[in-house]
Amino acid sequence: MSRLMLAVARFVVRGLGIGKAMPLLAAVVISLFPAQSPAAVSAAAFDSANKLYEEGKFAEAAAAYETMTKAGQASAALYFNLGNAFFKSGQIGRAIAAYHQAEQLTPRDPDLRANLQFARNQTPSPTLSPTRWQRWLGRLTLNEWTVLAAGAVWIWLLLLAVLQWRPALRPPLRAYVLSIAILAVLLCSCAAAALRETRFTRTAIVITRDTAVRYTPLPESATAFTVQDGAELLVLDQKDEWFQVNAGPRRTGWLRRDQVVVAGR
Amino acid sequence: MRRSSSWIKHNLRCRSRSGLRLLFAFLLLLLWPAAPCALVAATFTATLDRETVTVGETATLSLTFKGGEPKSIPALPQLPNLQIAGEGTSRNVVIDNGQFSASISQTFALTATQPGEFIIPALRAEIDGQVLATQPLKLTAVKADSSAANAAGEKLAFFKLFVPKKEVYVGEILAAEFQVYVREGVANAENILQGFEQYAGCPVKAEGVSIFKTAHAQRRRMRSGNAIYGVATLITSLSPVKTGPLTIGAMEVTLTLQLPLPNQRSRDPFDPFGMFQQYERRQVALTTEPAALTVLPLPKENVPTNFNGAVGSFSMSVTAGPTNVAAGDPVTVKVQISGRGTLDSLSLPEQNAWREFKTYPPTTKLDTTDALGLQGTKTFEQLVVPQSPDIKALPPVSFSFFDPDQKSYRTLTQPAIPLVVRPGGSAPAPTVAATTRAAPDNPPPAQDIVHIKPRLGTLAQIAPPLVQQPWFLALQAVPLLAWLSALVWRHRTEMLANNPRLRRRRQVAQIMRQGLLELRQFASDKKSDDFFATLFRLLQEQLGERLDLPASAITEAVIEEHLRPRGAPEATLASLHELFQACNLARYAPIRTSQELAAVIPKLEAMLRELQGLKT
Repeated sequence: MSRLMLAVARFVVRGLGIGKAMPLLAAVVISLFPAQSPAAVSAAAFDSANKLYEEGKFAEAAAAYETMTKAGQASAALYFNLGNAFFKSGQIGRAIAAYHQAEQLTPRDPDLRANLQFARNQTPSPTLSPTRWQRWLGRLTLNEWTVLAAGAVWIWLLLLAVLQWRPALRPPLRAYVLSIAILAVLLCSCAAAALRETRFTRTAIVITRDTAVRYTPLPESATAFTVQDGAELLVLDQKDEWFQVNAGPRRTGWLRRDQVVVAGR
Repeated sequence: MRRSSSWIKHNLRCRSRSGLRLLFAFLLLLLWPAAPCALVAATFTATLDRETVTVGETATLSLTFKGGEPKSIPALPQLPNLQIAGEGTSRNVVIDNGQFSASISQTFALTATQPGEFIIPALRAEIDGQVLATQPLKLTAVKADSSAANAAGEKLAFFKLFVPKKEVYVGEILAAEFQVYVREGVANAENILQGFEQYAGCPVKAEGVSIFKTAHAQRRRMRSGNAIYGVATLITSLSPVKTGPLTIGAMEVTLTLQLPLPNQRSRDPFDPFGMFQQYERRQVALTTEPAALTVLPLPKENVPTNFNGAVGSFSMSVTAGPTNVAAGDPVTVKVQISGRGTLDSLSLPEQNAWREFKTYPPTTKLDTTDALGLQGTKTFEQLVVPQSPDIKALPPVSFSFFDPDQKSYRTLTQPAIPLVVRPGGSAPAPTVAATTRAAPDNPPPAQDIVHIKPRLGTLAQIAPPLVQQPWFLALQAVPLLAWLSALVWRHRTEMLANNPRLRRRRQVAQIMRQGLLELRQFASDKKSDDFFATLFRLLQEQLGERLDLPASAITEAVIEEHLRPRGAPEATLASLHELFQACNLARYAPIRTSQELAAVIPKLEAMLRELQGLKT
């Protein structure tokens, strides 16, 4: 490719002369390699998607936001706006899934929490709502819990090392060592629980209306119960294109993969 | 000095305490978000252990506060012919499935002095700024049968079946009491009463009734005739299902009563605890007279159109949400029916006004407030889907029931709830659940989602969490290695401190390394005196360490005095002797050439190796 471009450049210089050829070549280079950084390009795409949203073209805005996420770009605002666009276009389940993605990045954003709760309120039962413990655990991201726990363990081990180096400090520092050890255990437990919640527990969010949850993973199977768009269900198992889901006591059944979005575990 | 030392200690202690305070403050801050875990919705309920008593008997009224502490315990009003005595307060903490809940119970003993019906009005209490009220309760006191009581006073034990009404309506719920009386003085009275209190079955037998639950009232003591009895009470809730005469019987039981033999001395000095007390065993077959009542049919006049068989006394509240929807989108209607009756079999009547809605079967939830399940709240959640954008409101919800106390049908109707229904397919504007009874203290609910964010913010590539990244996991080894290194260092330091010979050996090894370097330097500089002085010092240090003697005490004489007796090889002794001689000779005839001096160093190194291998 570079050889071909060099050959073209030599041909142009020979044909037009160096004085005329240089501005032309510069224009071509600028158009081929814009000075804008990837961040600037993303911001422009984000602004244009926001414009579609403001014009009331919610489905188009959602598509524009989704294109950005599929390009591997992740930002809390992007997922937040994607959730809003889905919500306004009547896709509550997809909106909840997008809010979940944003929650992984900024769990304490009050706007996000308000919108997620608002979207959940639109969903009739059966649906699983997070317990108080899960809500409390979700106030920090998994990385934040991990850093806190690691920090406590670091402080504790370094204190132990200091005590080996200066045994005379043992009596005054004993209470600190004990307290930090307890703190480290608590934080490690929270980090482990957060890891379990975020990496090993999957939630299926229903994205279709009046969705039949079937007794067995077969299209011919009888309907166990019906769920609505936006219902959040615990994934128990997976078989081919079917997810076994649970919506509470004695409410277990199977849903097709195209009927749900599995929250980013 | 002492004062200064104590001040330092005090200061350290204070620092330690302030550090602890800081740490606890940090912990508190960290765990602050968990505080809502401990909070549950506050409730205030009032329950009676029995609804019917005979005059002179005591019923227990319990006021239970859950989810918070009341500002003050509400006072019971003075009711004529009803004595009220406070029995005490108890606190209960329950952790169930990770949910923490605390409750406070205040109990009152209610004793009727005259027959009649006593209405305990709704009581109000303030919990965390929220005013909660109980439902009114009814206690019925009936006159005791004096002839039966006198006859009973001669019995050791007897059963009694008590049904509060002689006439009931079909479907009406009533509580039948089965009472077990055991006279004081029967040695195994406690065991018998406990046995009945732990009885899990139903003591009542009847045909043509639905039997629901059996609960136990508090045990009490009661005078009947001239005797005092301990009384265990089982209460069964039941409801007649067919009209006409109804007979309710109870179980028949043969009890073995233990009676102390009368000729035994009451206080045997050799048996102060009554361990060798002798009893007379007496078999008693107990039964009770069945209760006869009449079951009346429900009136056929003025039957409401949507009456579906509910009998009792109820109230109703209705909420719906969202109220701004597109046609085809579901609205959840929540109907709560509270009161007294057969809540378990209660069903939501067909709502004929909901023709323009597609309806789904409702889900139900039952919360009872008493042990018999007669009082409480049943919640129906029903999805209704407006089919047309012309719908402007959710029609009034009505519920009819027969009230046996008023002997008439009653219909409860909640007003229509306004709805905004847009044409289907358009974006559903966000809405929230609307309630017909908005709490004035609660902030108004949000009406729309929060608007989009104008800025993209920091872009990040989606990456696995830290805990799954190898570099992060490897980094965690740093403090561990630091601690292990400090631990090993500390261990070695202590080992050296406790072993002076080892410490000296290491010091000597260091001296040898340094001394050999000096020797090479002196050899190259042709400093014969310094060379041999250093050589002699090294021999002294090494031999002193091996023989555990001061280095200054080492002379050539140690060869014969210490090394030979220890069995050192002759060759070694000869070489050592030769080195000592060389040192002595050098004082008088210094060696001048570097080669001659350097030639001594390998001999010394070989000697030092041999000496280091020598047993100490």
